[in-house]
Amino acid sequence: MNDLISGIDIAFWALAAIAVLSGWRVFATDSMVRASFLLLLSFMAVAGIMLLLAAPYIGVATIFMMAVEMMVMAVFMVMFMMNPAGLNPMSMVHQQPLAIGAGVVAFIGLSAAVLTSPLPDQPVAADHRAIHALGIEMLGDSMLIFESAGVALLSAMIGSVILSSRSGRFGPADPGSRPPGLCEGGLPAGSVPDENKNHGMGHGMQHDTPNAAPQDTHGAHGAQGS
Amino acid sequence: MNAATAVGATLLLMLGGAWLVAVFDRIAAALVARRPVGSLWLGPLQSGASLLVSRTNQTEHPDALNWALAPALYLVLAFVGVALVPFSTSGALVDIPAGIVLWGAVESLTVVAVFLHGWSANALFPLLGAYRYVAVGLPIMLVSMFVLIAAALPAQSLALGAIVQSQAGLWNVVRQPLGLPLFLLLGLSLTLRGPFNYADSADLAGGTDAERSGPPRAVWQWARLSMAVSFSAMAATVFLGGPLGPAWGTAELGPLWLTLKTAVVLALLVAASHLLARMPPSRMLTLLWTVLLPLSFVGLVAAGIEAAP
Repeated sequence: MNDLISGIDIAFWALAAIAVLSGWRVFATDSMVRASFLLLLSFMAVAGIMLLLAAPYIGVATIFMMAVEMMVMAVFMVMFMMNPAGLNPMSMVHQQPLAIGAGVVAFIGLSAAVLTSPLPDQPVAADHRAIHALGIEMLGDSMLIFESAGVALLSAMIGSVILSSRSGRFGPADPGSRPPGLCEGGLPAGSVPDENKNHGMGHGMQHDTPNAAPQDTHGAHGAQGS
Repeated sequence: MNAATAVGATLLLMLGGAWLVAVFDRIAAALVARRPVGSLWLGPLQSGASLLVSRTNQTEHPDALNWALAPALYLVLAFVGVALVPFSTSGALVDIPAGIVLWGAVESLTVVAVFLHGWSANALFPLLGAYRYVAVGLPIMLVSMFVLIAAALPAQSLALGAIVQSQAGLWNVVRQPLGLPLFLLLGLSLTLRGPFNYADSADLAGGTDAERSGPPRAVWQWARLSMAVSFSAMAATVFLGGPLGPAWGTAELGPLWLTLKTAVVLALLVAASHLLARMPPSRMLTLLWTVLLPLSFVGLVAAGIEAAP
């Protein structure tokens, strides 16, 4: 036990380095999907530290939940952003002064919380049922907090689905999700959904010609089709 | 049984099991099509060997890291899953108090591995397969979470050893009749098989695997077979009593019982993948969210009422 460096020390520092480095790469990469899974890597390294701290449930549940959450986050980001399939490079940082300020405040706050709170130093007895105790805590005294957080997250999810669906309560979402034109003031690539003249199915080629007058072409084509 | 023997036996089970799945697949395909089986025992090995000696290919601007690592990640997850399975009543290779939650992490990371496999190729069909798989793979995982929590309730523990012990009187497959059928559907999704194969299916010209050739393709296919073994061993543990045998047997026979039960689940899995109907993803999503997920929740409530003191 008096070894200068034990295997657990090496594992801790390696995991800590992975967590910090991949956390930094989240903001240095140029892809929504890569950013999501780099964040997952960072969380998994933190979960490994949890396992070293003999908190198996929290460590394993972190891996489990974060894998699902980052997968959902990647899909939702691709859905919300006008970036086909998340393949186009795009910057992962924005609103920088505000973000830097929030980051510094959060870092100082969390560091102060760690430094000022009394950290436990008693080893947990081998026969202590830690997972059982955690369950009693979460569905006992702390139930209100966890259930409130759960309901808040659920309403956020429903809100995001409403915002992303095409016919939300604020009207059709098509104008906002329409990609920019191929030339100045021109039509976007691909077919354009047209609610009034619903003859566009299968005639997408007509809309790909940027120089043609769009309404006339479509009207003539529609008449031809009907 | 010391650690080296246990590791060796596990590796043997994974290799033999993967080969067995491939043999089962050939039998099932031949039976369904009413044609001769062909090269049954050596066929899978010949297919694997021909992949190993063929050249690898490269897509245009792939995400090189994930493109290289996704098959390995899938394979590693299969081995992590089987390491959690208690092969005898004395314990598993990785014996942690939250074993069933770690299996949940294996399930969710499998969705990530399959997505990254398709996304990193930077090609049309793999990409379509990846997004389609995530849309169906996540809700079927929710179903399996309810099913597994229900199986953990009688044991009052998240440890797989305790879940095995709780089945000493009555196996979970009888106590919770909804459990194993719903869990088998998750198995189809985890191993990219049959009606839940939205990632690598023929309608996308191979999906996430469309641009693969050579040894990486062999690893990916091997990982799919290995995941089938890993899943079946887990299903045998959670629903069929794992290493528990009949009263006349001794505790030393535990690994044998588990292996036999794993083979039975493998056969069920292969049969389901060849016999169940395929659906378009949108209809499958409707089925999942409106029928299967509420069904799994009913099973959870029933298990909770039964396990209540």
